[in-house]
Amino acid sequence: MFEILGISPVLLFGQLLIGLINGVFYAMMSLGVAIIFGMLRIGNFVHGAQYMLGAFGAWYLLHLPDLFPGLGLPSLGYWWALVLVPFGVGLIGAFMERVFIRKVYDLEHAYGLLLTVGLAMMIEGIFNVGYGAAGQQYSVPESLRGGINLGFMFMPLYRVWVIVFALLVCFATWYVIERTKLGSYLRAATENPDLVRAFGINVPRMLMLTYAFGVGLAGLAGVMAAPIYQVSPQMGQSIIITIFAVVVIGGMGSIFGAIFTGLMLGLVEGLTKVFYPQGSTTVIFIIMAIVLVFRPAGLFGKETSAHHPSDIAAARPGSILENGRLWLAVMAIGGSILPFMVYPVFAMKMLCLALFASAYNLVFGYVGLLAFGHAAFYGSSAYVAAHTASIWGFPTEVAILSGVAAATALGALFGWLAIRRQGLYFAMITLALAQIVYFYAIQASWTHGEDGIQSVPRGYLFGVIDLNEPLNMYFFVLAIFLAGFAAIYRIVRSPFGQVLKSIRENEPRSVSLGYSTDRFKLIAFTLSAALAGLAGGTKAIVFQIASLADLYFMTSADALLMTLIGGVGTLLGPVVGAIVVVTMQKELATLGSWVIVVQGSAFVLCVLFLRKGIVGTLEDFLARRAERKRIAVNGGTTASQPVLDPEAAS
Amino acid sequence: MTEVAGLSVSNLNAWYGESQALHGMDFEVRPGEVVTLLGRNGAGKTTTLRSIMGLLKRKTGVIRFGEEDIRGRLPEYIARKGIAYCPEERGIFASLSVDENLTLPPVVAPGGMSVDDIFNLFPNLAERRNSQGTKLSGGEQQMLAIARILRTGATLLLLDEPTEGLAPVIVKQIGQVIGRLKERGLTVLLVEQNFRFASKLADRHYVVEHGRIIDTIAAADVAASMTRIENYLKV
Repeated sequence: MFEILGISPVLLFGQLLIGLINGVFYAMMSLGVAIIFGMLRIGNFVHGAQYMLGAFGAWYLLHLPDLFPGLGLPSLGYWWALVLVPFGVGLIGAFMERVFIRKVYDLEHAYGLLLTVGLAMMIEGIFNVGYGAAGQQYSVPESLRGGINLGFMFMPLYRVWVIVFALLVCFATWYVIERTKLGSYLRAATENPDLVRAFGINVPRMLMLTYAFGVGLAGLAGVMAAPIYQVSPQMGQSIIITIFAVVVIGGMGSIFGAIFTGLMLGLVEGLTKVFYPQGSTTVIFIIMAIVLVFRPAGLFGKETSAHHPSDIAAARPGSILENGRLWLAVMAIGGSILPFMVYPVFAMKMLCLALFASAYNLVFGYVGLLAFGHAAFYGSSAYVAAHTASIWGFPTEVAILSGVAAATALGALFGWLAIRRQGLYFAMITLALAQIVYFYAIQASWTHGEDGIQSVPRGYLFGVIDLNEPLNMYFFVLAIFLAGFAAIYRIVRSPFGQVLKSIRENEPRSVSLGYSTDRFKLIAFTLSAALAGLAGGTKAIVFQIASLADLYFMTSADALLMTLIGGVGTLLGPVVGAIVVVTMQKELATLGSWVIVVQGSAFVLCVLFLRKGIVGTLEDFLARRAERKRIAVNGGTTASQPVLDPEAAS
Repeated sequence: MTEVAGLSVSNLNAWYGESQALHGMDFEVRPGEVVTLLGRNGAGKTTTLRSIMGLLKRKTGVIRFGEEDIRGRLPEYIARKGIAYCPEERGIFASLSVDENLTLPPVVAPGGMSVDDIFNLFPNLAERRNSQGTKLSGGEQQMLAIARILRTGATLLLLDEPTEGLAPVIVKQIGQVIGRLKERGLTVLLVEQNFRFASKLADRHYVVEHGRIIDTIAAADVAASMTRIENYLKV
């Protein structure tokens, strides 16, 4: 038996095969995501859920007689599933496009991502309620059992089939898009949908079919994956973030790039498992970071003209709700009464998350950067604070500050990498970078894996005030929150903050005025990370635990949801959003696993009906009322006055 | 060639968001005519074409093509009725080759030109069939933009400033092409600022200002109305 670099060939080729299998799934999935992003400009986060639907679809078809006893239905096996399920999943996709996704084509990319995040939470949540974390078994079809002995390794027949068939599907898709008439319609519609419509082509229907096709590919991948991986509600959640990273590495506008990159990264992942197993979960994200440094447009991407995001802020300057001094006082008084009305722990959770959401709002609301990885800052600070407080015996305030320092450093690094791209790419990149931290925390020894760091001592503030006393702890947290809130208000109102807003409203114009916008973005991002870290570190002390949930991408999604519900870019929005979300989670706690479904629906409903958020809508209402009053007072002399709100007049 | 329909626009108002761009446009193009809309930048000429094509949603009034009011219809429906649009910015697709650009618009009625006919009309394009669409020169791109709507069998062509920014020799060539189209019995609605070019081709000129027609000049009266026209168009 010969060995390569001290690795047995059986292990090497075995892992390469597993890598290749993963690679063909990455290729099929990122192909769908790339097509949907290319044609519809939608970052299809629900792609993972649709893949999961495909696997469950195959499982359902097999168990038809058990699911519907008495109907005399036959049990349909693998080959039937391979034909029927992609079609069915595509049909569900067409329905979703028609009902939800079509509504956000003309809006900022952020809403498309939020909408699909919400849909993914709903679908995966429902399956989670039904099946829990347990995986269902799906066996390899009779005709593909067994394998071939290649001498140096055993090659299961089913895996050969998966590789060959998936490559065939990828190639056929590439051919259709790049070489056929239908493909030329699609490519043209990507560039100028209006003109293609004016040539007599039904572009809306074509977009629906494109989405259905991309989703159908995910369904097909799901069927093919069923006999290899376990059929479980979580199977899509773990793959979707990797897929986003693959699309970023492959590059925008390149179908071939998505396929090739998917395959390569699968193999690289396999090789890493052989030579450096600890790195196998993060290697794709690290490659993404390296590619971003040297080729920001991706390996096969063409540098497209920067997409200019439209203004998403819901704030009305001058509204009473934007007066920070007033509200700082109101919150100081309200905050002092709060612990006597609700449980202090509950109130502290609200304050921590309100600070977290306000920090997030600083980049999303005021600079217009769709960050989707703030859990990394919140969670890393929580871990560092917990570790320094419990192991190194730091005093509480120093422990929190060390957490903030860690989050700030991480924020500067991630910001430096991510500001190279904009819009949806920015979201995908921050998400993928945050995932590195998450996987690191799973594997590192000091973070204690699934357990997290528990029993963190609350300690004594400045060595005297006992923070184990709930009210002492509460007022300490309130002070931190108010300080953070005041800092954000100060940043936003400063000349620096004005430049940030100008970047949000019109970046090319800010550049032409001589501002180095990238530097401003980076500073804002780092400040936001520091404040998110402040919230995370405080949270670790309050709840005496730092856990993987703090780093999980759902925490980033929570920050987004709170900001959105409250009102993007408004001063009070994130605070109101935090109150709503925390209250909702508490009231719905009795629903158990349904919480995630409800939260997903909240996302979807907010994107469809409440894009200005609670505070933004309220500010609109106040402005309109003031306008009506003014007209009533001035009588008929208002005809020449400009209408305050264009929407009110239409 | 199928039955040729005329276009008549009456009391057309159109809006971009809150600002009204057209204020009661009234004009007609009879079958087989070449008619121009003249006017300064921002007068509403392009908006009129986009409204006819259904690309502008907010509008009132009547746009009659043949027997049917197409005002509320979607662009894809209007195109299938036999109206073809060549936008001002030409709209050549960068990700498509010249051939693909040329054959992109689907045939909506019999009677369109064949690809061979088109290459006879535009020999330059034939040489560059496999180039990327946007690698062509400005003049070639304009020819391609016109050429691709000739294949479809549409009977009414909406041409938005086909001579803008082109060399005189190319302008002349495009003029000849439009003359040939008229001979073939096609109806053309031409938006122009270049009156010298338009005057040789059109049966009638409408002068557009502030979103309405302020004057109509028949081809026979052009010589007599020269100073009037210059007054309309001078900056």
